[in-house]
Amino acid sequence: MPKQIRLLDFGLLSPLRSQVVYHAAAYAMTPDSPNTIILVSSNHPYVCIGVHQDLEKEVDVEYCDANGLPVYRREVGGGAVYLDSGQVFTQWIFHRENLPSDLETRFRLYVRPLVETYQALGINATYRPINDIHVSGKKIGGTGAAQMGIAEVVVGSLMFTFDKKTMARVLKVASEKMRDKIFEGLEQYMTTMTEQLGATPERAQVVSTYLEKTAAALDAEIVPGEWSAAEEAAAQELDARMGSDEWLNQKGGLRQFGVKIHEDVRVVQAAFKAPGGLIRVIARIREGRIDDLSLSGDFTMLPAFSVGALEQAARGVLVARDLLAARFAQVYRALAIQSPGVTPEHFAEAVAAATA
Amino acid sequence: MNIYRGCIFPDDLLYDVAQDVWVRYQDGVATMGMTDPAQSRCGKFVAVQFRTVGRVIAKGKVYATVESGKWVGPFPAVLTGEIIETNEAGFQRDILLANRDPYGAGWLVKIRPTKWEEERANLLDAAAAFQEYRKKIEALDLNCMRCMD
Repeated sequence: MPKQIRLLDFGLLSPLRSQVVYHAAAYAMTPDSPNTIILVSSNHPYVCIGVHQDLEKEVDVEYCDANGLPVYRREVGGGAVYLDSGQVFTQWIFHRENLPSDLETRFRLYVRPLVETYQALGINATYRPINDIHVSGKKIGGTGAAQMGIAEVVVGSLMFTFDKKTMARVLKVASEKMRDKIFEGLEQYMTTMTEQLGATPERAQVVSTYLEKTAAALDAEIVPGEWSAAEEAAAQELDARMGSDEWLNQKGGLRQFGVKIHEDVRVVQAAFKAPGGLIRVIARIREGRIDDLSLSGDFTMLPAFSVGALEQAARGVLVARDLLAARFAQVYRALAIQSPGVTPEHFAEAVAAATA
Repeated sequence: MNIYRGCIFPDDLLYDVAQDVWVRYQDGVATMGMTDPAQSRCGKFVAVQFRTVGRVIAKGKVYATVESGKWVGPFPAVLTGEIIETNEAGFQRDILLANRDPYGAGWLVKIRPTKWEEERANLLDAAAAFQEYRKKIEALDLNCMRCMD
């Protein structure tokens, strides 16, 4: 590892440029380029989607248009995310040979100074493999990695604030109930520096700590540097490409299993047609178990409170059809539930469909 | 077939060790995919996006983009030629094809090389590739893994 790493602290940039700069530094990289760390925030809120996501399937484009929220596609994977000036993106653009080749080791190295920065602020952050940072089971930021040209890129953020309500609002979902459940999931399983500390810390202080911890993690000196003409030329080309409708609307084919809140938590949904009616399921899955379940549909069920009882009984149960069917059958027996054309197995089938 | 630390290298293929690509050349068509070490390092695929059939791709460019759980990267063009078929349908049926069977059902693209004689020289046969891969696997401290589920 060369002993010097170039630092480019862009402060605030436009939404598009906040994404373009790390792509440009990567694509403009030559064998002689320095390893680079970019710090940047967006000066306006926007939505950023993963490289292989289908825009129309993931984002409520109409809402974004009506509310002046641009949407951009990055060349890093993962899902749609709402971003604003409340995050400082920490973008590493390194030569391949200067980062661990094993991805988990690479993420561990990248996450270490982020975790240590939070800890220095008094936040009990820990690394959650492969690439999350958690505080008492809540996520305080994720990371992603990509190869662009000859560069290896790792990206993440220092999470000062995060607008969970708008995050849930910009996603395209099948129902408002699903949106509510996503918001509940974000409230319960995501956090920020501001939430943890009760006040928003100063950017300069946090960044200074981050750079100190990063220099120690990499055993290198981090030195402010210049954005080169070649990088600016690459950025201008990328402005055009990443700002184009063609790039934004390309089909990606990424198949996702519900909405990921963090490494261990997802919100999923499904509809299942039983002989006695349609069963709609919205479930929050945590570490493979039902964390929260919502059942609805056009089936008939007596006594009236039975649906709530089934929802409660499912909590903590491993997501396995036979285990769920057995738990639901217990409730059926205990409450003498009547539901023509709908059985405990059908409910288990419906939940399994949501989590398949 | 050579095996080292769980990584398999069939005898009937050519390899670009640096780019982690295997090539099966037959009747003017080159079928290509990711090697066992490559799919192991990449991890479970979640998406593959192929360049369009009919496009001529120059060596050094990209045939497809691969996304795994935690990384996005190119499937690099190690030969110049026209893409005549992709395994898009296969990966639509089972996105883990390359993680299960990297040298068979998990192939990625078929091309008709236009500079075969010239670019063939950059590829190693199985015996030579295995020697190089042993060193690479040691350097990476890698053990190969396949998806079985």
